[in-house]
Amino acid sequence: MPAPAMHGEGRNGVPLRTRRILMHAGIFLTLVLAWEIGARAGYLDPLFYPRPTAIVDSFIRIYITQGNIWRHLYVSLGLVFAGFAAGSILGIVLGSLVGFNALARRFVKPYVLVLEATPRIAVAPLLIAALGFGAQSKIAIIMLVCFFAPFINTLAGVVNVNEEKLELFNSLGASKFQILTKLVLPEAVPVIMAGERLALTASLSGVLVAEFIQRDQGIGSLILIYTRNLNMASAFACIFTLTVVGFLIFKGMEMLDRYIAFWNNETGMARVGAARKARWEN
Amino acid sequence: MATADSRVRDPVVGGNSVGKTFAGGTVVALENASFDIEKGSFVSLVGPSGCGKSTLLRLIAGLIEPTSGSLQVHGSKVSAPRQDVAMMFQRATLLEWRTAIENVLLPTEIQRRVTADDRNRAMELLQLVGLGEFAFSFPAQLSGGMQQRVALARLLQTGADVLLMDEPFGALDEFTRERLNIELLRIVGEVGATTIFVTHNIAEAIFLADKVYVMTPRPGRLAQVIDVPLARPRELAVQTSPEFNRLVEDARETLGAL
Amino acid sequence: MSAPFGQLQWLRACYRALPHLGLFALLIAAWEVLVRTGVIASIMVPRPSSIGASIVELYFVKGTIWRHFFITLGEAVGGFLIGAAIAVALAIGSSLWEPFRRYVSPYAVVLNVTPGIALTPIIIAWFGFGMGSKMALAAIISFFPIFVNTLTGLTQPDTEREELFRSLGSSERQVFWMLRVPSALPLMFAGFKIGLTTALIGAVVAEFAQATEGVGVLMSRFSFQLNMGASIATLLSMTLIGLILFYSMEFLDDRTVFWRREERRAAASRNRARAWKRYAKLNSKSGSSI
Repeated sequence: MPAPAMHGEGRNGVPLRTRRILMHAGIFLTLVLAWEIGARAGYLDPLFYPRPTAIVDSFIRIYITQGNIWRHLYVSLGLVFAGFAAGSILGIVLGSLVGFNALARRFVKPYVLVLEATPRIAVAPLLIAALGFGAQSKIAIIMLVCFFAPFINTLAGVVNVNEEKLELFNSLGASKFQILTKLVLPEAVPVIMAGERLALTASLSGVLVAEFIQRDQGIGSLILIYTRNLNMASAFACIFTLTVVGFLIFKGMEMLDRYIAFWNNETGMARVGAARKARWEN
Repeated sequence: MATADSRVRDPVVGGNSVGKTFAGGTVVALENASFDIEKGSFVSLVGPSGCGKSTLLRLIAGLIEPTSGSLQVHGSKVSAPRQDVAMMFQRATLLEWRTAIENVLLPTEIQRRVTADDRNRAMELLQLVGLGEFAFSFPAQLSGGMQQRVALARLLQTGADVLLMDEPFGALDEFTRERLNIELLRIVGEVGATTIFVTHNIAEAIFLADKVYVMTPRPGRLAQVIDVPLARPRELAVQTSPEFNRLVEDARETLGAL
Repeated sequence: MSAPFGQLQWLRACYRALPHLGLFALLIAAWEVLVRTGVIASIMVPRPSSIGASIVELYFVKGTIWRHFFITLGEAVGGFLIGAAIAVALAIGSSLWEPFRRYVSPYAVVLNVTPGIALTPIIIAWFGFGMGSKMALAAIISFFPIFVNTLTGLTQPDTEREELFRSLGSSERQVFWMLRVPSALPLMFAGFKIGLTTALIGAVVAEFAQATEGVGVLMSRFSFQLNMGASIATLLSMTLIGLILFYSMEFLDDRTVFWRREERRAAASRNRARAWKRYAKLNSKSGSSI
């Protein structure tokens, strides 16, 4: 076992953090370099496994010199947010309605079990056939894939309300509506947010599948067309773009979660506590 | 049997052969409990788990209905939760997304529109439980003991004059619990409320109460009423007095002879 | 439980299912009527009776679906097994060796935030049009949930029990097998369940993109022929695969993590009592011979 580094100081006086970052960078560069050399030396078929430098070239081309990715990115993300908003709001509303009504819960349950087992994304060709080519069928696909997680999570959040708190509200003579708005929904917020995160990730996959099938525009069709033309470097550039988009979405949802469910983190509590104190004093 | 109650002068809470069974009559949680509780007095219910003390409390709160017999508060029958009775639980059950003061205001919010007077009262109560400085802290920022103090302030904010407490400090450590018990005595004394306090700790029950109801399980019933003639205000030292120990022995004997 | 009582329970279950079946029949009838009267266009939503006819033809009369059914099932299971093997191996490595975890986890995170589906065309270019590419995509997208759940399970802090093991002088290997693995199992199985579902999605999406067989191919073919009844009948086969996969894993989960449910606990304790007795008898015999 290595001796624990005190005060973040490693050997030779280099701070531990710096050393770790250097290590990460070193590993990354070694991998990239090995890939580049392997490709140049002919171990990797450049037609299928593009060199890192070729990917960088493609990045420059599709973003700057040719600049064609922007339009496709714009189209795809527009669809993602439209479908996500519609699908997840529908999920939350239906989830709380069904969750709060024992009879509805009983009758909806078998359908939920069946839907849960079905790969929702598989309905994509069917929806395109039914709604025709165009944005509406793509949005419908995204709605469908991102409806389920918020629905299930809202349902679970509403059903699994804390028994003791419910007893407290009953002992105070609270109405059903007061219990819903003052207890059940706020308590379900973290679970609902977790559902929203899953939904947004799923909607990114949804738009890609929709665009693979209906390849007129959008980042999915771009990847498909580049691959068909064996322009793998550009296809990889598109995929790394999606990595960045995915990362931003992930971080964005994390921040949103911390902002909305403020009572689960120190900074949130400090912010809201101060705001409420100010409001109280007015 | 609780027979000593006929001597109560000014009964606030009364029970008439109250019984409660669960699971379609197969589990008798409480059998034939009759009692009268005097206005402004402090009553402890003590006994092992399954003796029906929590059931009795929930019956008085109107959270559940008796299978037989009837209960009255202020002379009217209990059939649902009512505004002159309020309850405090073993856990603080604070809402995490509300500050301490907003948690205290919850009962008022549920009953009506909150006025400036309500808000001032809530702040006074937080000061009474010693948390004036923490009014805008969230539950997660408070210790377990402080959370229970907020719950106590919330209990008092209801304005109820019958306070039901279900092992309110049972989840806290011994030192915090003793300190809170002394504060509890001071506060309910100040407010002049009638208090029914459930615990499984015999010494705690005697230390707090004017009257201790000893309960025994299977089926749950009131087995004995012990008057506690110890002078008030009480200090922790009273627990070492021979008089106190005699009362503890008395209760233990009833519980031992199950 | 005695036999007649068991029958009674069956009857009760049927009785309980009645309202559900009634509602289902009502919904189907309403659907049929709405499409027949032209309130809903039959191009968009087929009649239940035409779906029923397609089901009969595809599953029973011609039986065309079964070959595709088993191909997709095989792709999903194969991909899952590959993905799960790599994920569990990497998670065990990461849990045992801290530097490994530190320097591998960024790549796992990158893999997580990239929608794995985006790799579909590239995977097909790499692995061809056959089952290989489907398994590869299924493996890639089922990797992350399994990796994360296994790693979380293996590294969850349990200071008290760990201290107990250390105080008994146990080795690292013993702590791993006797404490960490059993406590990780519930989370691992949760990951396996998610992984299986995503593996099926990977197989189907890869089939949409480019394939000659599998239910995904059938699905897109019927959809483009605007044969809606047959597409929905095919969709149901995916539901069936999903149910089979999920409940098989649920079954394995229930048997492996037997200490979670009273029924399984009782069965396990019966078995062990029997084994103990056998062992005691064996010992007493050999003891008397000495």
